[in-house]
Amino acid sequence: MKTIQTDVLVIGTGFGAAAPALRLAQAGAKVVMIEKGPRVQTADFRQTSDPKYVLKYLKGTPGDNLKLTYAEALGGGSGFYEMISLRAPSLAFEQLDDDGRLLWPADVDRRSLDPYYDLAERMLHVSQIPVEEIPKTGLVFAHLMRNLGYSVDRCRYAVRGCQGSGFCVTGCVYGAKQSLFLNYLPQAVSAGAEIETDLEALAIEPLPARWRVGAPLRDVPYRYRVTARRRTGERELVAFVARVVILGGATVGTAKLLLASRPYLPKLSEHVGRHIAYNGSVKVAALLPDGVPDADMFTGRTHPGMVSYQFLGSHGITVHAVKAMPLMLVSAAHLRLRDEPQAAFWGAPNVELMKQLRHRMIILDAFGLTPPGAALQVRAGDARVALPITAQLRVYHAETKRILESILVRNGCRLVETDFLDKTFMPRQGIQFSTAHQVGSCRMADAKEHGVVDASGAVFDYPGLYVSDGSAIPSSLAVNTSLTILANAERIAAGLIERYRLPLPGGSQAQAA
Amino acid sequence: MQDHISRRLALKHFGLIAAGLAAACTPARVLVNAYPQTFDDDPELVDRVLRAFVTTVIPGAAADDPDLVRALTDPDYPFAQFAAFFAADLTRRGERRFGEPAFEQLTPDQRAAVIRDGLEADATTRKMYNGAVTLAQVAFYAGIYDAQRGCALIGFEGGYHWHPLSEITYPDPALFLAAALTPDGNAA
Repeated sequence: MKTIQTDVLVIGTGFGAAAPALRLAQAGAKVVMIEKGPRVQTADFRQTSDPKYVLKYLKGTPGDNLKLTYAEALGGGSGFYEMISLRAPSLAFEQLDDDGRLLWPADVDRRSLDPYYDLAERMLHVSQIPVEEIPKTGLVFAHLMRNLGYSVDRCRYAVRGCQGSGFCVTGCVYGAKQSLFLNYLPQAVSAGAEIETDLEALAIEPLPARWRVGAPLRDVPYRYRVTARRRTGERELVAFVARVVILGGATVGTAKLLLASRPYLPKLSEHVGRHIAYNGSVKVAALLPDGVPDADMFTGRTHPGMVSYQFLGSHGITVHAVKAMPLMLVSAAHLRLRDEPQAAFWGAPNVELMKQLRHRMIILDAFGLTPPGAALQVRAGDARVALPITAQLRVYHAETKRILESILVRNGCRLVETDFLDKTFMPRQGIQFSTAHQVGSCRMADAKEHGVVDASGAVFDYPGLYVSDGSAIPSSLAVNTSLTILANAERIAAGLIERYRLPLPGGSQAQAA
Repeated sequence: MQDHISRRLALKHFGLIAAGLAAACTPARVLVNAYPQTFDDDPELVDRVLRAFVTTVIPGAAADDPDLVRALTDPDYPFAQFAAFFAADLTRRGERRFGEPAFEQLTPDQRAAVIRDGLEADATTRKMYNGAVTLAQVAFYAGIYDAQRGCALIGFEGGYHWHPLSEITYPDPALFLAAALTPDGNAA
């Protein structure tokens, strides 16, 4: 088996991995990144609805009452997300668990993250959508909210020169979306980092080693061996030995890797794989009444430009309009008009409904501060996620749905039933959540009895092993998670540079500070 | 002539289901009854039945569209291995209910009744019919076999159709906008 030595091994190339890789490489450390998915660039993307293309990059973790979606490719989800880049509201950092304990470590909050949000926003060229670029669906959503005296804000995006093609989620063929392979990753390579794709980490083993607490990186011995397998060719095994290992494979990937490594890491916290938060997404659809201008489900950026914080303080939710391409919509839900005797999810009534999809249908989606109540279960390498539907969740779901439906009904909209489907296209029974905003399977906490890593991202009881991705984020955020994951990863990277006495790279945490 | 798919073989096939969309339409357990050999021997028969099925599920879809039933017989999707069985089941149900041995010869209302029959049958059959309906809809509305074609019936243009900003938004956005709570889009 080939063995590669490196100062720092970063597992993953997404939002949680890219920042530490770049900053540590800039500071002079030898950095190797490994990515399970394939190498992609703008030229690889297609504006297509071919499921074979989509499923090449987008993967799912099924489960009980919750389904998770994530990307496996260079840059992680950054190639396929809707490029929404919002800071988590202060309220998100103030959430308590059932025992009244803060979910977030005491010294991590919005204020402490703001300098790193600044840094991440500069790197991704995040800006508020100009008024004159708001897609029709976003404007119609704003119109509905204004009719009821509610507020709506223009959203923020990581994009330069958006062409409004509506195919954000299949990858931006124009290179306008600021995916990580356009910024962090090439900069990391320029600073000396190496990136290997199609390489899956299988297990982490600690090596026998002694070091002086607080020693600079160059004096720290190799402390971990990571075994990986190539996913192409002969599928050979490769070993990496590293002084520092940073896990950035996201909520599912990092938890799976740590669970697979538990035989070698017996002191791992019992919380690995637990406390997954998921932004409790609740969706409601309706047809617009006469007199309201046309929306457009298919043109303009995929996220239609507007977010409402109207119910954030009162109900812990943000409200968005949603655009969905037919592939995503029809494979996700059966649609039929509510209170319509002839309604069916197929046949002439369905066709008539589908004809109104582009211009007359509006879909609202709420993201909420739902508790981190889901857990990952891994058997024979296959992961499932389980979410118990508690009384509290039932109330949240019912109340959130009531708010969304009320917005639509009071505007004269006709509600559309959306029966969400399982992977065999059968309607799912009961309350079901699906999300790409999963965080928290290896959450940060002030002590090992509450989490997996400390506020610096260090895995409890395993010096030199860190988690910097979404799995460390301990709560729902009520907004899209990517910018917070990236900002937190920048914060962890700054801590690593300080901890290992590396020289400050120009333009990174020095600016953030 | 009758051809028997063994229960063991059927279950083995079901066990090969991939996750995600590609996995759709395949029930975990199906009582695979014997069905006429002709459905295995005559792909044109299967094509005719499936076309009649899809145009019943999606009235307005062109019956001569070369891609109309492709997803149901696409070997990349697990449903393909049950396409002949499904076509035979539609035919059997149609004949039993209306005495017409060719499903495609039934009236649209009769075909719809047959499909409803399948959707309301036992759990396994229901799963197969649900899967077939939804896979047909996904393939048709999304235009999965031609990136640029989309679906004219619902105004979906597919990919690679550039729109000027004037078509994406309205010229007077201020008429729509509500009061904002934040100076920059980020909640405090």
